[in-house]
Amino acid sequence: MSQSNFNDLFPEDEAAILQEVMNIAFGKASADLADVIDIRVILSVPDIRLMRASELPAQIVDEVKIYDLISIVEQNYWGKFKGTALLIFPTQASKGLVSMFESEQEFFPDAENVMFEKETLLEIGNILIGACVGKIAELLKDIVSYSPPRAFTKNLSNETFQEKWTDSEKVAVFMRTIFSFEENDVSGFLFLILSQDSLKWLKTALNNFMEKYG
Amino acid sequence: MIKKLLLVDDSAVARKILLKCIPNAEQYEVHEANNGLEGFEKYKELQPDLTFMDLTMPVMGGVEAIEEIRKHDPKAIVIVTTADVQTKTIEKVMDLGALLVVRKPPSSETVNDAINQAEIAFKNRG
Repeated sequence: MSQSNFNDLFPEDEAAILQEVMNIAFGKASADLADVIDIRVILSVPDIRLMRASELPAQIVDEVKIYDLISIVEQNYWGKFKGTALLIFPTQASKGLVSMFESEQEFFPDAENVMFEKETLLEIGNILIGACVGKIAELLKDIVSYSPPRAFTKNLSNETFQEKWTDSEKVAVFMRTIFSFEENDVSGFLFLILSQDSLKWLKTALNNFMEKYG
Repeated sequence: MIKKLLLVDDSAVARKILLKCIPNAEQYEVHEANNGLEGFEKYKELQPDLTFMDLTMPVMGGVEAIEEIRKHDPKAIVIVTTADVQTKTIEKVMDLGALLVVRKPPSSETVNDAINQAEIAFKNRG
């Protein structure tokens, strides 16, 4: 599929509306996380692209390629807005993340253990993904359900994500923000991948969102 | 009375939404900038009575732009429009001299209230 076909499928003006909706949603997600850790979360401008689903693994790998070992929280969401959210941190940042929750350390005496790092990742994923997807759904008048989040660690390679998106005929909306924590050397990526099945609904919902502003 | 507005946001959609929420927008001379640096440059050139400033922008973010604008003009009236409603972010921009924060997406009510407060600040600054 050529770029002009992509533009026909998802024109620039609709992508611009989605970018603003994403901006609002990421803002809500960062505020929810900052409430928990009491550290300011800094976000990049969201990046949005339409691409073939089969190109997604290489795209994600390219985005996070500076890290060899990555920790991933994956959660699927279903509604009219339907897809997969991936929260990705370099694995070496896990201890930094745990330390942000250290006020609760007394309840978790062995804060260094792998289980607590995994729980921390899941909690951060739950907050960021839930707030972000929930806000998009709210703004676009949808209701979504979520799969339980799954956390795992992998060596980075194209195969890391290959099994998920193999259908070369389908397209997907790829949305990405990079977030970091003020005064902490930890940053991560939040990807939302929206399936082609949602595209028709999304275009209508975005236009409805703008309609009230004339 | 406030006559000249500067809207700083990298999203044309966000600027359009904000403009639609400004009551009687046609009574104002409205200028736009699509990042913090351009906003600061336009501020120096145009000396707007009121600036609406987004925070998450490429080239120069809103926090830095407010800092530069307030350094250039300590009486500058800046309203922050942002989806980033973290307490620490709000404290930071208020410390830098922002008048108030309007949460995105804005509504006619929140923008009207903000402009009314800006009018008071504009009168008081002399």
